[in-house]
Amino acid sequence: MTDLSAQDAPFAGSSGSALVRRRNRKQVIVQGLGLAAISFAALMLFILIASLVSTGYKAFTQTHITVEVFVDPDEVSVEKLPRGGFREVLLASLQKEFPEVTERAELRSLQNIFSNGAQFALRDMVAADHSLVGQTVTLTVPVSDPFDQLAKDLVKRETPEAQRRVNDREIGWFDALDAAGKISQPVNWGLITNADSRFPELAGLKGALVGSFWALLVCFLISFPLGIGAAIYLEEFAPKNRWSDLIEVNINNLAAVPSVVFGLLALAVFIGWFGMPRSAPIVGGMTLALMTMPTIIIATRAALKAVPPSIREAALGVGASKHQVVFGHVLPLAMPGILTGTIIGLAQALGETAPLLLIGMNAFITSAPSSPFDSATALPTQIFIWADSPERGFVSRTSAAILVLLTFLITMNAVAIYLRSKFERKW
Amino acid sequence: MYDTPTLERTVDNSTVKFSARDVHVFYGETEAIKGVDVDILDKTVTAFIGPSGCGKSTFLRCLNRMNDTIDICRVTGKITLDGADIYDKRIDPVQLRAKVGMVFQKPNPFPKSIYDNVAYGPRIHGLARTKADLDVIVEKSLRRAALWTEAKDRLNEPGTGLSGGQQQRLCIARAVATGPEVLLMDEPCSALDPIATAQVEELIDELRQSYSVVIVTHSMQQAARVSQKTAFFHLGDLVEFGETGQIFTNPKDPRTESYITGRIG
Repeated sequence: MTDLSAQDAPFAGSSGSALVRRRNRKQVIVQGLGLAAISFAALMLFILIASLVSTGYKAFTQTHITVEVFVDPDEVSVEKLPRGGFREVLLASLQKEFPEVTERAELRSLQNIFSNGAQFALRDMVAADHSLVGQTVTLTVPVSDPFDQLAKDLVKRETPEAQRRVNDREIGWFDALDAAGKISQPVNWGLITNADSRFPELAGLKGALVGSFWALLVCFLISFPLGIGAAIYLEEFAPKNRWSDLIEVNINNLAAVPSVVFGLLALAVFIGWFGMPRSAPIVGGMTLALMTMPTIIIATRAALKAVPPSIREAALGVGASKHQVVFGHVLPLAMPGILTGTIIGLAQALGETAPLLLIGMNAFITSAPSSPFDSATALPTQIFIWADSPERGFVSRTSAAILVLLTFLITMNAVAIYLRSKFERKW
Repeated sequence: MYDTPTLERTVDNSTVKFSARDVHVFYGETEAIKGVDVDILDKTVTAFIGPSGCGKSTFLRCLNRMNDTIDICRVTGKITLDGADIYDKRIDPVQLRAKVGMVFQKPNPFPKSIYDNVAYGPRIHGLARTKADLDVIVEKSLRRAALWTEAKDRLNEPGTGLSGGQQQRLCIARAVATGPEVLLMDEPCSALDPIATAQVEELIDELRQSYSVVIVTHSMQQAARVSQKTAFFHLGDLVEFGETGQIFTNPKDPRTESYITGRIG
């Protein structure tokens, strides 16, 4: 075996081996380039996720302060609850801890440890149970944004005092409270149970989640039946002539129209002509449906085309009419493909921002919509709003909101992949 | 070459089922069938043979108007079934296809249970009033297709899980279930192994008791084994039509002779 000369081995001719070597080298280069491209893409994805997680993870907890509040009957009376002196009552609970603070300006900065929402939380408690007036209640409320930043080490203590948002004195108070075990950092459920707020420590995604849900529901209810109907007609029933060709080309073009154009169209038609409400998920859903429909039509047509002709012939052969063939055989077999396309179309719609900005779904709305006709934001527009807000606390919240949006997108795509692999049929 | 003595066989019924006169088929500008006249008898197996692209399948598909589903296809001339013009405007091709069943080249059961495959035709044509009626039709059809003993315990299993030959017999059962008078078979054995082919051929011979059977085949041996009448197609013309024995042993046309002796095709 060691003595394999060129004559003995017919595949090892001298000119041939150079050719083979060159060919093999090209093969290696092509594979290497492919691998490099994939690695680059994976690296970019990793950097994206890593940067989001590293800024966003801090928004998944929220610093809270626990205080014993004496609901002073002199300040708070059941008769005039909305105007009760809840701020004063709260401040009094802190004053107990720091009796040396008496000056007005200092008292105000002491008050600022509480989130602005703390007084409303206390008010709601008392409103729910009037007997609390005159008693001492234990209250756990978010601290305001600068102290939250301090607790999360986003405001550095080494920074010179003049450039810091909390002064040395405030840090002293905070550390004293922390040492007394009054500061805690639980999971920030407010991020998904609160609606938007001016104060980062209170701002949450509930309004955006519910708004996105309504918009997607409207989008699905419009684009799914219309898209499938159009695709079935074009693929199965329409005569093949110049008109159907024209329609086909235009549908493909429609899928490539920039989404901001659909937003302008919706603004002019839905809001301008039809007088539909601004910022409402119903209009958002209708706008997104305009964009999703071409995607669904194209996916449905591809799925219908993929059903083998032998199934149509089989059904026609036993005397099924055209619509029995389509609805009894072809459509059920195409359904997994159609659903996959629809979910991917909806996932695209979920992430769409530009058309929603144009119809006003980037408004500042502090309550979640209870119907598709109420004003609302959507996840991507909420991200847009938060990214634009100057408060430091919104930086990590923006990243957290992006992570929430990405979670939904990945979930939807995973469902699409699952459906495809589960129902994929080998013919 | 011939493993059954075709000469001894006789055509035992002379009722004309299908009658074609001057049939032309065009795909766009191309003329695929160039004036075919043929009479297909009841209770007879008629084989269409010829080289690829000669139009035998196209002509077969004229008989149940399957060509209607192809947009560019146009049929002229006259084809009658029991004396009625099947291309008449008042004839519903869907009803016609219930009377003229078809079995395709590749076994194509629906991706449903064996029972539902057979029951589909009777259901859409309203042939069974009750579940019991339907059960009877399904059993009868599966027995006709010689599949009952193999399938009776697995009626709820998917039809696609059967072997190739069983699938093809399932397709025959499905075609038989609508109570057709004619069965068209487009190369029914070309995707089957020799054992399955033998089973299907045997079945075709039995089906002749009840139906007029038209079979397109590439295999001349198969035509010789199963058919009583043979039509030889070449380049869109019906070259020769007659008793199978006569076509194979004593062809009149030189083109037929060339084909069956293997010189063209």
